[in-house]
Amino acid sequence: MLRNLTFILKSSMRNRRRSVLTITSIAVSLCLLGVLMAMYRALFFGGPETPAQAVRMITHHKVGLADVMPMSYENKIRRVPGVKEVMLWQWFGGSYKDARDRRNFFARFAVEPDRFFTIYSDVAMPADQKAAFLQERTGCIVNAGLARKFGWKLGDRITLVGDIFPVTLEFKLVGIYTDPENHEALFFNKEYLRESLGADSPMRDVASMFEVRARNIADVPRVAASIDQMFDNSPAPTRTESERNFELSFVAFLGNLKLFLLAICGAVTFTILLVSANTLSMSVRERLREVGILKTLGFTQDAIVGLILGEAGVLALAGGTVGIALAALLCGGIRNGVSGIQNLRALAMTPGLALTALGIALFIGLVSSLIPALGASRTTILDSLRYSG
Amino acid sequence: MSDVVIETRKLTKEFVRDEFHVIALKDADLEVRRGDFVALMGPSGSGKSTLLHLIAAMDRPSSGEIRVLGQDLRALNDRAIAHWRNVHIGFIFQSFNLIPVLNAIENVELPLKLTHLKAKERMEHAETALTLVGLGDRLHHYPRQLSGGQEQRVAIARALVTDPDLILADEPTGNLDAGSAQEVLTMLSRLNKEFGKTVVMVTHDPHAASFAARVLHLEKGLLLPEGQSAEWSASQPAAS
Repeated sequence: MLRNLTFILKSSMRNRRRSVLTITSIAVSLCLLGVLMAMYRALFFGGPETPAQAVRMITHHKVGLADVMPMSYENKIRRVPGVKEVMLWQWFGGSYKDARDRRNFFARFAVEPDRFFTIYSDVAMPADQKAAFLQERTGCIVNAGLARKFGWKLGDRITLVGDIFPVTLEFKLVGIYTDPENHEALFFNKEYLRESLGADSPMRDVASMFEVRARNIADVPRVAASIDQMFDNSPAPTRTESERNFELSFVAFLGNLKLFLLAICGAVTFTILLVSANTLSMSVRERLREVGILKTLGFTQDAIVGLILGEAGVLALAGGTVGIALAALLCGGIRNGVSGIQNLRALAMTPGLALTALGIALFIGLVSSLIPALGASRTTILDSLRYSG
Repeated sequence: MSDVVIETRKLTKEFVRDEFHVIALKDADLEVRRGDFVALMGPSGSGKSTLLHLIAAMDRPSSGEIRVLGQDLRALNDRAIAHWRNVHIGFIFQSFNLIPVLNAIENVELPLKLTHLKAKERMEHAETALTLVGLGDRLHHYPRQLSGGQEQRVAIARALVTDPDLILADEPTGNLDAGSAQEVLTMLSRLNKEFGKTVVMVTHDPHAASFAARVLHLEKGLLLPEGQSAEWSASQPAAS
């Protein structure tokens, strides 16, 4: 095959317009396929789980996130053997500036500052900012990416208008943290929310979620089971799951996305297979006479098949490479542009995905040209030479 | 090896085309010796190209015997025949049949890709062959950049680059002007006389045939006895 590489390369580009169009069609399809594969990976496998994340769990109402649990659960959970720390983790929601603009959306949580850094041991923030977060009741902290996105700096005032909670909260930015997963979120003191709600508010002493940290990874399943068992017969039964699973559960809100993505991937692959097969069989048919010449020179059927498959492989790999490069660019764009779906922050064309996509491209090229190649190789010399294509 | 290069006995080729049974060649007895330059002449459809294709193992006979260079061609499978053809046969087509995306030297190098020669050696052989046909200064020209005569000379270089025992030419001057035809015929004659190559050439041009040492005539699928031409056949029954 390597001996014929020059011939294969030159043959694959003999009709430049058609070759470019074939490469483009494969590239566009592979780009789409690549992004879908990256999306599938990001949504259902996410990025690598950090050691700190591996010991974190979320406890929420068994029915769903809209149902609340008594705040008193927190102390009960803390007493479960294997629990290192537990903290209220209250989704605030609300809106920042114009809520209709999706770019203004980011996660906002009420937390307990004195427990926050024990739970999120992988969050890094200067000590003075940590102190400020502990001391200032109206203080809030944000992820560095989020601060960059909105151009926030320490001391800035951030106002959130509540929707779940009927309050408007004005915060002072006291800390900017970095975290391995780059979760774009704002955290503030739960006491500020409680005070703002007023003493008679039914929302004051309830929690939608607790963030639990186990002492070690081995304790996680047992701790989760113990917590849920403890509240099993209570009016507010719980469901405790790992932080990773909790994140993945949001994807389920989008429906059977797994099947949907796989179906699109399959359809894209099948379509490009048909398009390539059509183009390549046309190309082979036009050059049937050449097959006769090559056979006259002594090329065997296998060698002819090898040459044609090689040409198809070159076109497919060229298209695949361009498509993967485009997919990598698109993934970057989506990753930086989407703030609503946290899992998509892990959207990336990893080397593994790129190789898989390239393998699919090669597979498409080889399969689509196999039948025309076999047909051409089996045509007799005289029939091939008679062909005036 | 025997001095007889081509030997056929009652060689017959029949085929069915559009429900018609056609006898392209019937009971052809032929003997060509090493160093012969044989011209096969006859009108269109007389079976001369069919005979040439059978000698080149590009087609299989319906019946009869054929031995080329001592090899019974009917005993070889497709793969063995392809290898045999690469080693022993140099074939020149009427319409040159060069590969358009390859330049002259790459076209000539093609048959050598099936040998064990290294790339450098292949290019050296191809260059030598092209120089031999007077195209040493056109190595990197593409077929579209060459005249018809030059294209045919590249095709001749491709046919002789493997140093075959037998050169078969199917109307090699059919698509050429008189000047280019003369060059090509002179070259075939030179290959025969100076390099001792056995040449079998199909032609219907008496001038081209005059370059051959032996001229054999075919008429309606019958190979006429040497020295006999179409006039002889007028009194004979048709092959089919």
